[in-house]
Amino acid sequence: MREMIKYSFLAKIRDFSLVFWPLIFPFVLATAMYFSIGQMEEADFETVRAAVVVKQNAEEDVFSDYLSELEKDDSGLISIQEMSESKAAGALADGEIEGIYYSGDTPVLTVDGSGFPQSILQMILESYLEGKQTLEDIARLHPEGMEAAVRQMADYSYVTEEVSLGGRTTNTTAQFFYALIGMSCLYGCFIGFRSVMELQANLSALAARRCVSPVHRMQWILSETAVSFGIHFVNMLLLLAYMKYILRLEFTGTYAGMLPVICIGSLIGVTMGMFITSIGKMGEGVKIGIMIGVSMTLSFLAGLMNADIKNVVDRNAPLLNRLNPAALISDALYCLNVYDAPERYIQDLVILSVMCVLLLAGTFVIIRRERYDSI
Amino acid sequence: MIKIENLVKRYGNIVALDHFNLEIEEGEIFGLLGPNGSGKTTAINCMLALLKYDRGSIRIMGREMTPDNYDVKRQIGIVMQDVAVFDELNVHDNIDYFCSLYIKDKNKRKELVEDAIRFVGLEDYRKTYPKKLSGGLLRRLNIACGIAHKPRLIILDEPTVAVDPQSRNKILEGICELNRQGSTIVYTSHYMEEVEQICTRIAIMDHGRSIAVGTKEELKSMIKTGETVTIEAVILDQEDLTDIGNLPHVFDVRYEEQRLIVRCTGAKHNLIHILGILQEKDIPFGRVFSELPTLNDVFLEITGKQLRN
Repeated sequence: MREMIKYSFLAKIRDFSLVFWPLIFPFVLATAMYFSIGQMEEADFETVRAAVVVKQNAEEDVFSDYLSELEKDDSGLISIQEMSESKAAGALADGEIEGIYYSGDTPVLTVDGSGFPQSILQMILESYLEGKQTLEDIARLHPEGMEAAVRQMADYSYVTEEVSLGGRTTNTTAQFFYALIGMSCLYGCFIGFRSVMELQANLSALAARRCVSPVHRMQWILSETAVSFGIHFVNMLLLLAYMKYILRLEFTGTYAGMLPVICIGSLIGVTMGMFITSIGKMGEGVKIGIMIGVSMTLSFLAGLMNADIKNVVDRNAPLLNRLNPAALISDALYCLNVYDAPERYIQDLVILSVMCVLLLAGTFVIIRRERYDSI
Repeated sequence: MIKIENLVKRYGNIVALDHFNLEIEEGEIFGLLGPNGSGKTTAINCMLALLKYDRGSIRIMGREMTPDNYDVKRQIGIVMQDVAVFDELNVHDNIDYFCSLYIKDKNKRKELVEDAIRFVGLEDYRKTYPKKLSGGLLRRLNIACGIAHKPRLIILDEPTVAVDPQSRNKILEGICELNRQGSTIVYTSHYMEEVEQICTRIAIMDHGRSIAVGTKEELKSMIKTGETVTIEAVILDQEDLTDIGNLPHVFDVRYEEQRLIVRCTGAKHNLIHILGILQEKDIPFGRVFSELPTLNDVFLEITGKQLRN
């Protein structure tokens, strides 16, 4: 077993294609992105300008107060100006502001276009409406807790801190790097590919020679999975270290929290490659093509090429991103570093783990057979 | 050592092995001879429990051969038709790796690996990677990986394809040496000269069937041809051919492009009789050949086609 692992490890790390795609390519891509997009810590977040139109008859305009408190926060997230309806419409048309809030019992937002500033304005409004709904629910179900809830609701700084929309982490640059980490994890498929190519006697002469040796099938599968995963996990650690120490990208979350993500991410890349390779008797080139196609498509949907794509998919086909491993990895990292949403982070990891188990089980079912119809 | 009974293997509508039977005794160098597509490699893959088959039974060392028969597998060495080594491991590490699948004891393995390297003559290439080896040396490495653990049964599937004559001779000598050391050898090839040179018994295969089995002498005695006489640059008419055909022991006369080919049963003086007729009729001629039957003649006479078709 020791020699099996040792030589399998040596063979894999000396295979240029297995070093290039899962390791060098992400390094090159990270470097290119670093220079083309800019450093995360230097990313200059522009304050979102908006107007608020206050209804004349509003006795107590809670929403305007909420916006004022947000503006006072030192994050520089938004800049609010109170305007008349006509003046606000003119400013929006001239591009002086990105949106208009109409305050009232149920505030509404008008924007002229779509993009990151408009998304922030929308999120602010949704936060307010959710809080308002919460208060109404408490008043209806637990009136005794109303006073405490109102006190907490009035503490706007609490709201802004938890939502974590302020500061540098709101920039879209981070999303590119998270998607890059997601893509790099998936590129472990190349290592998984080679492992299965060398285990199925109907795919290569080398595999046939190994299959006629007196080694149990399960021993082969476990040792190959362990070696492939180990190599790719180290690849990912190197990539993370490169981002942190060479590119000096500052992720606001803890690196310790990122380790489980890249650990499970590495495993899903490897198992995805093993699963794709184990299906059918297509040629090596076809299988590599399928793997590149699948991993690039998943990375694209996770926002690697355009950060807005992930949001578009989230809005229109949310299930797709909950089943896309690249999006889940990116999302888990975003949860860790931006949203501060531990529940969603855990949920992402659980979904990824389940996927790993399913892919590994699927691969095992296919390659466990020891006799073939044709070779 | 190996007993195969009524083995049937189909690929869809194609019958690759058609009630194939074979019995190989311990200590033999057994040749499986047949043209490409005759079923040799399929038979080997069935023997190794890599391929499913439709009917029949395979027993090796007295036991039914199944994928989980590790005791039997431990005593088999296989040299594949395609080179099956790691490009990323050097000569020594490749041999050590494959040997380690069979031999756990590190010291014993070290000795066996050195023996194998010496055996195939790769002492000067221990640290060389397969891509730097010539075709012949690569084939030798392929063999070393299959035999390093000193198996009782060695199966070599066309090990000399695309090999230079020097390496081929080295490989063939090596196979005989392995046999002398106690291994039973199963050797498949479509090169009849190789099979004739080293095999103690031979099975000729065609269309998935074993059409003749025996020593080379036994196989040759199965056919009528005892001698083939060829005379070049000769001009003959039909009457001359009839006269030659009427000679005793002659059973086939062909005349193509001024070449006379006469097949005779085994007898003395066939050539003298044929040349006597030409001399009598004052017919000039060029070069003259007399050949004893080959396995190709055996194949030709049994199947009606050349072995290398």
